[in-house]
Amino acid sequence: MDPLKQLAFDQHVILRLPSGNRKIVQLKPNSSISLGKFGAFHVNDIVGYPLGTTFEIYYDGTHEPDLKNQNRIPVGKIRLLSRTENETGEREQSPLPAELANVLSSANNQKLVNLGNDVQGLSMAQIEDLKNQTASGEEIIAKMIENHGSFDKKTVYSQEKYLKRKKQKFSKFFTAEYLSSSAMLQFLLEKGDVQRVMDMSQESLGMLLNLANIRSNGTYLCVDETGGLLVYFLLERMFGGASEAGATAIGGGTIVVVHENEHPNLDLLKFSNYPESFLKDHIKTVSLLDFFEPPSSQQVEAAFTPLPKDQVRSLKAGKKNAYYRRLKWYNNQRQIITLANETEYDALVIASTLHLPQLVQRLSTRVHGSRPVVCYSQYKETLLELAHALYDDLRFLAPTILETRCRPYQTVRGKLHPLMTMHGGGGYLLWAHRVIPAAEPAI
Amino acid sequence: MSVFSEYKDCIAEGDLVLVWISRDNIKPIKVDSNEVFNTRYGSFPHEMMIGKPYGSQIAIRTKGTNKFAFIHVLQPTPELWTLSLPHRTQIVYTPDSSYIMERLNCSPRTRAVEAGTGSGSFSHAFARTVGHLYSYEFHQPRYEEALREFKEHGLVDIDKNVTITHRDVCRDGFRIRNGDVTSHLFGENETEVAVGADVVFLDLPAPWDAIPHLEDVISKDEKVGLCCFSPCIEQVDKTIEVLNRYGWSDLQMVEIQGKQFESRRQMVRTLDDAIERLRDVKRRKNEGLERRKRMCDSLLNDQPEADETVEKRPITEKTKFNPFGKGARVKEGDANYKWKQVTKVEPEIKSHTSYLTFAFKVANQIRNEEAIQRILESSESK
Ligand SMILES: C[S@@+](CC[C@H](N)C(=O)[O-])C[C@H]1O[C@@H](n2cnc3c(N)ncnc32)[C@H](O)[C@@H]1O
Repeated sequence: MDPLKQLAFDQHVILRLPSGNRKIVQLKPNSSISLGKFGAFHVNDIVGYPLGTTFEIYYDGTHEPDLKNQNRIPVGKIRLLSRTENETGEREQSPLPAELANVLSSANNQKLVNLGNDVQGLSMAQIEDLKNQTASGEEIIAKMIENHGSFDKKTVYSQEKYLKRKKQKFSKFFTAEYLSSSAMLQFLLEKGDVQRVMDMSQESLGMLLNLANIRSNGTYLCVDETGGLLVYFLLERMFGGASEAGATAIGGGTIVVVHENEHPNLDLLKFSNYPESFLKDHIKTVSLLDFFEPPSSQQVEAAFTPLPKDQVRSLKAGKKNAYYRRLKWYNNQRQIITLANETEYDALVIASTLHLPQLVQRLSTRVHGSRPVVCYSQYKETLLELAHALYDDLRFLAPTILETRCRPYQTVRGKLHPLMTMHGGGGYLLWAHRVIPAAEPAI
Repeated sequence: MSVFSEYKDCIAEGDLVLVWISRDNIKPIKVDSNEVFNTRYGSFPHEMMIGKPYGSQIAIRTKGTNKFAFIHVLQPTPELWTLSLPHRTQIVYTPDSSYIMERLNCSPRTRAVEAGTGSGSFSHAFARTVGHLYSYEFHQPRYEEALREFKEHGLVDIDKNVTITHRDVCRDGFRIRNGDVTSHLFGENETEVAVGADVVFLDLPAPWDAIPHLEDVISKDEKVGLCCFSPCIEQVDKTIEVLNRYGWSDLQMVEIQGKQFESRRQMVRTLDDAIERLRDVKRRKNEGLERRKRMCDSLLNDQPEADETVEKRPITEKTKFNPFGKGARVKEGDANYKWKQVTKVEPEIKSHTSYLTFAFKVANQIRNEEAIQRILESSESK
């Protein structure tokens, strides 16, 4: 089983619910996951199916009630919602959803009188009963249509709308998707963490990755104020996931994260499915202070000298621990010196609310010639100030401010139109190339 | 070694280099020590570039005049290539291609199918990112041109990640078999390429005729993503119909709007200064009137006071209050004035490129029950 293709145990995945909401869960073996009013299911029942599969939770009356906790959602059974059958088989003859294929409809809704709930022949209690007894969402909806007094007076359009609404309400299906960087962004935006992710959008991040020429085997310098989301986008583009625990990547590549607090904040990476060791190999973190004021080699070498292996082995337990602690410090200091003084970076990628002209100009001294500098900001004005500063600095070629916006459409045949509302954010990008100015030529 | 697939330090003989003259004038050249790169502003011998780090500015004194001219020499990237490539067809630009790649989750693990190749703009972006790209083009000269270009760019080779095939995908589908016109080099016992694509991009006039053929080349045990790129809404409608019929789901059509801004400055001109200037004009007008009146009076009274009036004129000229530099040619950003930083949107924006119709498919929704049992048992025994 390949966790990049199939649902795997202990993996984090994102579930899409009928309401359109999303939920990040971990697939712990032998556990169950509750989706509130959409039901609950056993993890073991879905593991092994391809990522992106849609499942239905159903209750056949055999589930045992939870005696200790009456409010607990009972765990149902799982079956596949075979979209392909539905859509290839029945839809071929009829452009209508299967549920509407055999009911009458009206050319317009002239005869439709709004009676509220009275037209529904089933009482609330009866619907509740149905929900408990059996019944998949589809069966409940079919019964409701059957008992709907004026369903045939509705136009096909409003019948479809009714169906969609009821499906969202009664269907107990969900889709288990791969937790991509875009999916994580979408999740955070919907959850209301707009400020935390600096109002980023999928299209802005996609463009950032391409403009910064992010790919495997690159060494990138990055400032990420979103708690690791930007780093996750870079990781996914560079490696596309680690296929097995501890597995090595397809190619190499390193992200060097410079952070403004004493410790880096890459919390969101805990949802990623990269093993800890993988993250350690490919992400290095350095504080701004260490980056700009690294220790000198002499200082570090004077403070500590690694011992030959056999000498280490003969150390006593207490001393050994102390030795290893100091060795770790020593290696870390040496790494800081390398990253701050020696590495020439293949791109500078920034999402930060620090004052940008200073940050970008100072970090760029370590960027290799011809490599891109890309800066994301929620506000055009901060990038404008940056653009002016870089324009006057001969080490930057053609600083440009860019905006990209995705406009989604209602995607139904014959009824294509832009959605009535959409998320307004998305921020802006500044794109420039690091160049090496020439001295004025002699006459 | 390809300048597109590896980061290079310094420019070497034979490298493909992008010469940046200005924002909308970027020229690809092949470095040849016997050649000279000519611009309107002067001539740059390639010799000057060799051995320099990528990103270097190359400066020369222009002949005759004593000014100097310069260019920048850059290592190609797919995004810069898109801005400088020779157009053989309409091309996909970065706002669209970058969104499509992100939405289809492209990475080194991706196996992508693309038709048609066209000018290869998107192909270069795909090639940089994905594990393997299978590109198809049915127009013979365009196929050959693209093949030649991809070879030159080091994208097509035994160990490289692009395969280009001459094919009408609407009529003959996507399978690549021994004997076909393709860049793929078949091994001894190899009869057909195992494409196994998980990403599909269709940029051709009738995607609905190509979609049914995709079954032969898409991966069956994982989710596959597809994007059709069509300028007309009627094409989208027809595409949706066929996608539904062939079991694709989660359909969504979107449009991408990209914009660029120039950073400029606007002079800060305050109301107070405007009033003050009017006041100044008025005062000087009055002074002028009075002066004229005095001159008239003195002439009438025949009192020769001429030298006094001559003196007065230049003094009033000098004190003229001109806070906005009216009449003078003021350069944007002139340090003698106050400025506000502003953005200016590019004069012509690409208001419509194409509609992007996305769809997804998981062909085989099955699992290996035994494998699951084995995993569970082994974890229990631990
Ligand atoms: C608009 S261009 C593609 C541009 C390309 N995406 C780029 O970014 O440069 C469309 C190309 O599709 C090719 N084409 C059209 N129908 C085709 C078919 N049935 N099979 C293969 N190629 C086809 C055309 O010859 C043309 O070169």
